[in-house]
Amino acid sequence: MTALVLPNRRVEDWKYTDLRNAIEPAAVASAGTAAWKVSLSGAVEQTALPEIMPRSHHGAMAELAVAHAKSGVFLRVGKGEQGTAHLELAQAGHGRALIVVEDGASLTLRETSAAEDFSNIAFDIVLGNDARLEHVREAPRNDAVRVCDYSIRSAERGSYRAHLANFGAKLSRTELHIALEGEGAQAHLSGVSVLGDGGHADVTTRITHAVGNTQSTQLFKLIAGGKSRGVYQGKISVAEGANGSDSRQTAKGLLLGERAEIDLKPELEILADDVKCAHGAAVGDLDPESLFYLRSRGVPEGDARALLMRAFLEDAVAEIADEGIRADVWARVEAALKELSA
Amino acid sequence: MLEINNLHVAVGGKEILKGLSLSIAAGEVHAIMGPNGSGKSTLSYVLAGREGYEITSGTIRYRSEDLTAMAPEERAANGVFLAMQYPVEIPGVTTMNFLKTALNAQRRARGDKEVDALGVLRLVREKAKALHISEDMLKRALNVGFSGGEKKRLEILQMALFEPTLAILDETDSGLDIDALKVVADGVNALRSPERAMLVITHYQRLLTYIVPNRVHVLSAGRIIKEGGKELAHELEAKGYAQIVKDAA
Repeated sequence: MTALVLPNRRVEDWKYTDLRNAIEPAAVASAGTAAWKVSLSGAVEQTALPEIMPRSHHGAMAELAVAHAKSGVFLRVGKGEQGTAHLELAQAGHGRALIVVEDGASLTLRETSAAEDFSNIAFDIVLGNDARLEHVREAPRNDAVRVCDYSIRSAERGSYRAHLANFGAKLSRTELHIALEGEGAQAHLSGVSVLGDGGHADVTTRITHAVGNTQSTQLFKLIAGGKSRGVYQGKISVAEGANGSDSRQTAKGLLLGERAEIDLKPELEILADDVKCAHGAAVGDLDPESLFYLRSRGVPEGDARALLMRAFLEDAVAEIADEGIRADVWARVEAALKELSA
Repeated sequence: MLEINNLHVAVGGKEILKGLSLSIAAGEVHAIMGPNGSGKSTLSYVLAGREGYEITSGTIRYRSEDLTAMAPEERAANGVFLAMQYPVEIPGVTTMNFLKTALNAQRRARGDKEVDALGVLRLVREKAKALHISEDMLKRALNVGFSGGEKKRLEILQMALFEPTLAILDETDSGLDIDALKVVADGVNALRSPERAMLVITHYQRLLTYIVPNRVHVLSAGRIIKEGGKELAHELEAKGYAQIVKDAA
């Protein structure tokens, strides 16, 4: 029997997130099967996972999830139908889920988590022609070790919008592998990570523009205070011949204090000729001029800091289309900021 | 109201104010005029409590209290307002939300009842009209994409909203055309009152044609070198700073 080697900082892709330091291999090998509390509305069907799963690209940990998870969730929205789904991770462990949004259908998918401990989930998401998925994941502050790997494929004119709100865990790794396989397919990713002392959140995205006239945007904002670490790694690949592709990628970090760390790593790999790609990444501190301006108008320092942090996150949270979910994310953000500026 | 006595201030180890003394009574408007680099902005920032300005000696008393012991937000709650030369742009915070937050923070600090969103809106609208500030400006992010004149008008709007006891206007005329200057000056004049003191800091005499001061002080190399009535501003304009500095030496 060969010992299980967990992804660690010697692996380039896991440079900023050392799973080996967070959990024992034995605990990973012996973890049970994850379970969700599922709430559905509209035309969403839930069944057992099919025998044959879509072949998609995943990261290193997904294989373990697939091998260990004994069951999983399969949600499907039929052609032209609409619905919403709320998945709450109720029990940690290895898990699998499949989400299929068929041609012309649309789904709003919200994920929250009540599980602490170790979880390792592999999601497969398939969008048909003209399908739409609005996906929001809210990861609360706790001491869990969370690995979540999403593989998303979109056919022609499919639209995938995702927002990842991270509030820090002992270790949190979220991977999004997105393949824009049909002409006109779009992916719009956004996220905020608000990390207090002891928090970690790693968002790693891989977007492949496999064909022409595909579009992707990314907007991630990270705030790290205390001793915490925020990571964003985003790789965009534009395949040969995928002309007319358009991709934009922005990641910004706000470091509060000297023990916090933010790592931003945008990458581009362009094999096509006629493409538009723009990316930017920057890490800074709260602007002292803005802070003084607010204080000189009577806003106490703590409130002024919280206001500026909220302002920093504003455009990323505004990407959430669903008003109710957006309000919920703001409430979580406000609570996290309150702690950070206390 | 405000008494500054023999004030010495250093920025980054370099002495900028070198023994400045000044006294303003309630109901008065004083002007400080001086060439670039004379210490005008340093004085305004020291009064507002900005970090990085080290008071090496001297005192600032405001309503008989030591102003320097107060944090910037405490000064604001106690009625000190600085209209800045370069108001800061803050993306992600709407102007209206900022006004409400600041007004209520000051009221809370004073133990006054907070004003609800509708109440603030009513107050702001009433004052915005006179300053030609549009509804659209109030909805936009604070100072973001505002013209120089719009930023200055918003500073005066805040002054009208917060009703300070001591208002300091730092080069409020800079970057304004004559029409905008008149709007701003009218806004300032409307706030003149027996309970309120104002300190108007400017390089040019122009603003003082519209905001007529009770007293003019000439600041040069960190010290007041000449004082007089409103006619001193005209003398400065006619002779230039170099001549006045020479005369005073």
